[in-house]
Amino acid sequence: MADSTCTSEFCNAGWAEILTHMSPYGYANFGIAFGLGLSVVGAAWGIWLTGASLVGAAVKAPRIRSKNLISVIFCEATAIYGVIMAIILANKVKKPDEATYFLDEDWDFPGFYYAGYGMFSAGLSVGLTNIASGVSVGIAGSSCAIADAQDPSLFVKILIVEIFASALGIFGIIVGIIQSNSCTFPIAPLE
Amino acid sequence: MTTPAPASGAGDMSTFNILHGFTEALVRGMRSSFMRDSDYHHMTQCETLDDFRLNMTETDYSESVADVQTLTPSGLQEAALEKLVTEFKYLRMQAVEPLGRFLDFVTYEYMIENIMLLLKGTLSGRDINELIAQCHPLGLFKESTMRSIPTFEPGPRGYDDLYQTVLVDTPVGPYFAQFLQDSAMHGGSRNVLEEVEIEIIKSSLIKYWIEDFAAFCEKLGGDTATVMGDLLKARADTNAINITLNSFGTPLNEPGMRFSDRKRLYPAVGHLYPAGTSMLVDVGDEDELGRVLELFPQYSSIWGVHAAGGSEKSIDDAFYERDVHQLELAFEGQMHFGVFYAYVKLKEQEIRNLVWITECILQGQKDEINKFVPVFSQHAPWRKVGGRR
Repeated sequence: MADSTCTSEFCNAGWAEILTHMSPYGYANFGIAFGLGLSVVGAAWGIWLTGASLVGAAVKAPRIRSKNLISVIFCEATAIYGVIMAIILANKVKKPDEATYFLDEDWDFPGFYYAGYGMFSAGLSVGLTNIASGVSVGIAGSSCAIADAQDPSLFVKILIVEIFASALGIFGIIVGIIQSNSCTFPIAPLE
Repeated sequence: MTTPAPASGAGDMSTFNILHGFTEALVRGMRSSFMRDSDYHHMTQCETLDDFRLNMTETDYSESVADVQTLTPSGLQEAALEKLVTEFKYLRMQAVEPLGRFLDFVTYEYMIENIMLLLKGTLSGRDINELIAQCHPLGLFKESTMRSIPTFEPGPRGYDDLYQTVLVDTPVGPYFAQFLQDSAMHGGSRNVLEEVEIEIIKSSLIKYWIEDFAAFCEKLGGDTATVMGDLLKARADTNAINITLNSFGTPLNEPGMRFSDRKRLYPAVGHLYPAGTSMLVDVGDEDELGRVLELFPQYSSIWGVHAAGGSEKSIDDAFYERDVHQLELAFEGQMHFGVFYAYVKLKEQEIRNLVWITECILQGQKDEINKFVPVFSQHAPWRKVGGRR
């Protein structure tokens, strides 16, 4: 064990060192990417699931076409949550006023790291909840279209299931906004 | 055993719709085309077949009967079957693997029927065109293959020749090969085409088909394996019981033949397998059969119907009722292939019902007219939930 550890000053001391030495800018931008990307994956998956059933069920019962697009809209909403979060976070990422090689000693390092970690986790909050929300809305929407084709009175009842499923995405964006609320990147050293 | 395993499963709740969502939604839309209780009620009240035809125009069959001038039971059966075949072909064209192969499996049963029909017809020396016209449309294979079946000469190598020259091309060829292998193993040269032999060949082929289908569904896994497993088990058991029942009074029931021949006809799938079928091998008459079936709760009530005798219900009716109950349950869950098999079978039942009703109207037997099993009926005995509906 002692033989394999690197003793040069350029080697890192393990994961703890790597993770704590990653730039907060990196964390924040990855958070934006995860938030947006995972939300869109969830929404697309959901639309895929519900759209296939909608098209198939509408062959024998064309009247369901317009009403059941609501399921697709619910899935789309999860992608919109991701976009909202990504725009909010992207507007918080600011570059320093003066371009320096090293940051000043009285740079607001606590705020710096707080902003990085906060935005990363906000992005993950939104992204992961939206995957779950998108898939569950998709599955419920597929059943909704098929049931509506058989019995129109079932539509509103199954829609309630979908509403609860899409609430999962709302939880994500609420928590994400709270997490990233007080995250501000410092642009100048503290006075 | 004969068919290679599917490349991938059917997918679970979150991935099934990706490949099969469209086709499943199609077949579920087709569920609304079944006759309702009110339709059946109107039809049983009809006095003539023209009234019947008028009632049909209000159901999903309106296009099928539009071209028919005078309705006859066989004409109605043809038209209704044509409609089912069109729908099935549409589903088959839209299906991707592994659903495509699943749907092919459903058609193999009809292919086996058609082959047997052609062979039997050859025996009686009937015209090939007439025979092809009588073939079940879901089980058609290449025209050239069908036409070469009657040209085969029952020579000393008998069925081996038939297989090598003709049937090896068809999808059910492997079942025939297996049958030849098994019969060669158990000795007995089956060189001559006899009436009794044809029935045994058909039962054997159906047995291999059921086993193959069950193995395929098992490999698909998930809900498909559960639902189809149950349906095919019920099918296998129905076959086993019918084979035993029909063998009474034929050479197959002789003690010597029972073990060597009749046992080989029982499918290796089903609730009765293996304990029940080994008991069925020793059964010599109806009393013994009844005693064996008493041990299995799901079949004791069906057997009770047969044992009660009378003209009210036959054992076939009891089996149909049980089948319809199970097949309707296949529609309860989403995201599995069972609905496709159930749809074809339930549509068949409906066609049987319609033909029964028209026959009764034609022959003026009004008291027999209600002896059919409606599909998705609100008044079904298994739907009566504690009174409130």
